Amino acid sequence: MTASEVQPGGRLLRGVHRTLTGLHPALESVLAAVVGLLVGAALMYIWGYDPWKAYWALLRGAYGGSYEIASSIARGVPLVLTALTFSICLRGGMFNIGAEGQVYVGAAAAVCVAYFKLPPGLHLLVGIAFAAVAGAVWSLGPALLKLTRGVHEVISTIMFNWIARFLVFYLVAYVLVDARQGQRTVQIPLSARFPVLVRGTDLSYSVFLAVAFALFVYFLLWHTATGYEVRAAGLTPTAARYGGISIRRTIALSFVLGGIGAGLAGAATTMGLPPTYAIISGLPQLMNLGFDGMAVAMVGRNHPLGILVAALFFGGLNAGGRVMQFYGSNPVPLEMVRVVMGAIVLAMAIPELVRVFPAMAASGRALVRMLSRRKPAEEAA
Amino acid sequence: MRKWLGLALVVALVAAPAMAQALKGKVAVVLDVGGRGDLSFNDMGFKGTDQAAHDFGLEMVEVQSATAADYLPNLRNLARTGQYDLIICVGFLLGDALAQAAAEFPQQKFAIIDAVVDAPNVMSIVFRENEMSALVGALGAMAAAHYGYPNVGVVLGIEIPVLYHFEAGYRFGIDWGNKKAAETLGTGPVGLLYTYTGSFSDIALGKAATEAMLAQGAVGVYNVAGPLGIGDLEAITEFHRNQGTRSGPPYYFGVDANQDWLGNGQHGLASGMKRVDVGCYSAVEAVVKGTFTGGITSLGLAEGGVGISKFVDLLEFIDFGISAGALKPEDREATIANWAVNRGTVPAWIWRAVDELEAGILAGTIVVPTADTVDEMQAVRARYTLGAP
Amino acid sequence: MGVNGYFLRAERITKIYSDGTVAVRDATLELRPGEIVGLLGENGAGKTTLTKILSGLLPPTRGQVVSPRGRVRFSSPREALEFGIGMVHQHFALVGTFTAVENVALSQERPLAPLQLAEIRAKLEALMAESGLRVPLDVPVEKLAVGEQQRVEILKVLSRDVALLILDEPTSVLTPLEVDELFRLLRRLRDEGRAIVLITHKLKEAGSITDRVVVLRKGEVVGDVPTADVTSEELARLMVGKALETRVGRAVELSTEEIPVHAHDREREGRGPGVLHVEGLSVAGDTKPVAVHDLTFDVYGGEIFGIAGVEGNGQTELVEALTGLRPALKGTATIRGKNILGLDPRQIYKLGVAHIPEDRWVLGLVLPFTLAENAILGVHRWDEFRGPLSILRWRRINAHVRSLMQRFEIQATGPSAPARSLSGGNQQKLIVGRELAKDPAIVIASQPTRGLDVGAAQYIRDTLVEMRDRGRAILLVSADLDEVLALSDRVAVMYEGRFMAVSRPEELDRETIGMLMGGVTAGGKR
Repeated sequence: MTASEVQPGGRLLRGVHRTLTGLHPALESVLAAVVGLLVGAALMYIWGYDPWKAYWALLRGAYGGSYEIASSIARGVPLVLTALTFSICLRGGMFNIGAEGQVYVGAAAAVCVAYFKLPPGLHLLVGIAFAAVAGAVWSLGPALLKLTRGVHEVISTIMFNWIARFLVFYLVAYVLVDARQGQRTVQIPLSARFPVLVRGTDLSYSVFLAVAFALFVYFLLWHTATGYEVRAAGLTPTAARYGGISIRRTIALSFVLGGIGAGLAGAATTMGLPPTYAIISGLPQLMNLGFDGMAVAMVGRNHPLGILVAALFFGGLNAGGRVMQFYGSNPVPLEMVRVVMGAIVLAMAIPELVRVFPAMAASGRALVRMLSRRKPAEEAA
Repeated sequence: MRKWLGLALVVALVAAPAMAQALKGKVAVVLDVGGRGDLSFNDMGFKGTDQAAHDFGLEMVEVQSATAADYLPNLRNLARTGQYDLIICVGFLLGDALAQAAAEFPQQKFAIIDAVVDAPNVMSIVFRENEMSALVGALGAMAAAHYGYPNVGVVLGIEIPVLYHFEAGYRFGIDWGNKKAAETLGTGPVGLLYTYTGSFSDIALGKAATEAMLAQGAVGVYNVAGPLGIGDLEAITEFHRNQGTRSGPPYYFGVDANQDWLGNGQHGLASGMKRVDVGCYSAVEAVVKGTFTGGITSLGLAEGGVGISKFVDLLEFIDFGISAGALKPEDREATIANWAVNRGTVPAWIWRAVDELEAGILAGTIVVPTADTVDEMQAVRARYTLGAP
Repeated sequence: MGVNGYFLRAERITKIYSDGTVAVRDATLELRPGEIVGLLGENGAGKTTLTKILSGLLPPTRGQVVSPRGRVRFSSPREALEFGIGMVHQHFALVGTFTAVENVALSQERPLAPLQLAEIRAKLEALMAESGLRVPLDVPVEKLAVGEQQRVEILKVLSRDVALLILDEPTSVLTPLEVDELFRLLRRLRDEGRAIVLITHKLKEAGSITDRVVVLRKGEVVGDVPTADVTSEELARLMVGKALETRVGRAVELSTEEIPVHAHDREREGRGPGVLHVEGLSVAGDTKPVAVHDLTFDVYGGEIFGIAGVEGNGQTELVEALTGLRPALKGTATIRGKNILGLDPRQIYKLGVAHIPEDRWVLGLVLPFTLAENAILGVHRWDEFRGPLSILRWRRINAHVRSLMQRFEIQATGPSAPARSLSGGNQQKLIVGRELAKDPAIVIASQPTRGLDVGAAQYIRDTLVEMRDRGRAILLVSADLDEVLALSDRVAVMYEGRFMAVSRPEELDRETIGMLMGGVTAGGKR
């Protein structure tokens, strides 16, 4: 009669779930990391690389000194923000994979500050606001489609990602383009850049933006009535409705908040990432930030504070992965580095995936049942 | 070898104490997000550096970038070790990052392909793509005149200054070929069809652009967008299949590498080769020989940095393709035969005319215009309108 | 069946869940062909777990299940079904978008074989004729009422011709007439030589149909006796283990599981002022265009207005319309003179409505939320719990929860315990506590004691009566006829969206009510 008994899902998932629910969260993460590292080591060993040297390079490249730690943090900054996009919506009961497109749009909006002059500081704030608003507006598309036409957010956010991608391609190539440097947009002026925090690294003041937004989301979700409504609607929409919560409101709110997060990630990667301070054609510095954010969200258990830790871990993996490529006499090429990173991240995301998906499926079914039940009544009225 | 040891000693004393214990010199190649496996630009950068490392007894590492945010950290990570005699950046996308890294590590020697970074410790290697593009343009124009096609085409990537070099040279070459054909055959001028697709990665865009050009009677399409050439060639191959031909026009004109062998050599008539490998090799050689200086090194026909593909290159790049697994060894002979048949569809006078143009450029009697800015490009376009009103 | 005279034997079964809960402890149970065994116990006694082990849904931690052919191990319910064991769960295993015929087809041996729906339909029709269990065959089962869905479940299992049939609380959603029919069916199945296990916590049922009763308490088998040799009092004592009064502070008649009648002194004073006024209210249903038909009634302060009836006759729609969860077609409804139709639930709560919903898992609670979070559901925007900037006052909320826990005897480790860790009874007490703490003018209680053990159910009934005595209006909707009759000052019997009668409970005898619930008026005609 306990909760573990009524979990849907296959036998294997139930087994994994039952094993994991008994563990302390930290222990669970450590265990998952160890499994991931072992799988990665096995892969490297099979392909003829020395796992111990490679991991040593990874560790040193990630956290070996202040330069390395700063680089790892810098790599994690946009991921904190895109992970929050995903987590806010997941907490609100939606599977929003639109962060990717919202990052593009946010970045493009941030670049627009290059076209006017403002005092330093204010210029930066205006840029941040631009990016946040652009991300939020882009996020409203899927939200409105869901609220008015019932379009599932997975479909609409994927489509909006593609639209954003080509829209920003166009903007970069024809509108925001630097006439002398056709491969990128105009550069964001000094007055609108996040100052570099640690000299000689990528780490800029944008890290404070990411941390502040994470804390804000945490406070909103767990310490305000508004956030309470979002979480209730996400977990049991039927009960939330019974509790007088407008699910339409929580859906719109989580999308907009998420869009702001992704838009800020766009700002951080344009206004706060040396040396380009512009969008490069093909968006190579923005590509996959939204999707990587989903992995960070899973590793961080969809909790803002967990996400901060996970992003540091993820940034470390990326920063250390760069070093694995040239460390020692038999360095690991980037392709294998990414395979190993994938194994580690997957292992660490599995516990949360196992928890999230059955729960999502169950609450989704309940909501569909409730909405389909209301329909004939509304039509009759 | 002896020279290099002397250099190593100097470097060890002057620059980096860490070098003292290094028995071998080291060079690093940093690639942009395109990464390895393109059988063209990046692979050639790797190949040239690898060859140089082998010839001069150096150790070489290759560092790829997962995202553009990795460019600067990769350069910093390498420079911080102080172990590298030279760090080569393959591709103009690394330019901004290198400008920053070169300033932060003034003792570190860098080289960059395809971009100009103004720093005393950076050797900027650029190519005179206008020269080889002129040869390809002339070949295309004369082939069109011979077969009675109204146009030649070019599919370009993102509108950046480097591509202006190609377009300007191509326009000049077509104009030159038109004049030659008028002299020889008495035909009227052929026009140019050109498209900037805005992408160096979307193969489908290359195919679509090529299909449109073929429909408008292009005798061939020059690929100036890297991987998009795969799409270009696909469109051309399908066109041949539909009209039931195995060789002859329309032709594919490759770029950067010798791409004549692609598709078993059936439709690749010639490639405008940009020898990134030669550029990387010469940078390493300069360091080893102690002749390394900052500033621009421009490689053109005269330096062997660019050129139109010849039979010798074909063999070299067929082997390159086979070693990369892109071509089956058993198809080697057939590819060469296909290529020879295809080349045979262009009459000898045209090949002689191309040689004449090449000789003129080498001798300095013919100067191919180029363009680095939009304005300069507009000027070239205005001078060689090539059918545009 | 087997030479040893039994069909299946559970030998010294122990089941420990991963969270450490010992659901079943060293239980031994033998099931013989041609016998109906009642499995008796309170909520959480381990009845469901034990039967899930028997039917292969769960592996035991220790012990084994044997048949005369040897040890039995199933890796899926389908294997168990092929072996001849069928189970009808409390929570149904039906595909909502499939019709009854399709759901039955899905349970067949080769569900992916070319579907012979016509054949299955014929089989079902024959079964329905035999068993008297009628269901619409061509409507997606999610559109059916709970009782109908259960009938589909039973038909599904019967269609497989099982040797052992396990039913988990099958009667809780059936009309008295249907219960009789079900029991007749079960007897016949027994006489055909099947083994039947009936999970129940109703002593009356256990006494009337079973041949043998097995009593579970806290996972242990505390009694295994022929039904004829035991009295209801003895069974109740075995089940509960201790006198009930120590829990609720007052004596409860255990002997017949009769619910104490609280309305005896209803003549003591006149009813209070009108609180809820409903006039000409019609509400659409999910499948029916009109589920509630032109209803007019009043509920007064100081009275319990009970609505009896078989589920699916418009009660759910009526309650949803009155609580803002479903729009009305026409009519008016006011609380103390203020219109409530068209308002959202929060606005209605503000007018003094408390709503104890019929399904605590779907509506009443957010199960993964903590006690504290659940305790403010619906009142989370009240100033008491919410400060400036919409910030929740957790300290006050936790204090509020502690007082609820004390006042309503909610057994939990604390305000931060997840609601899903509570037993059903404690979950329901949490809902009741939360709703009553609003100090409402009217309590709309829908199936407030469903699935609860005797003690918890009685406690909740007492609480409702206490609210009535304090002058509040109570609208009680329950499928438990005994409950409605015992608690209500006035009873309405609902059938197909209409009230068949509104009357004082003592003016109606059970037979009359049974007929009214079945749509038969006093004249005897349908």
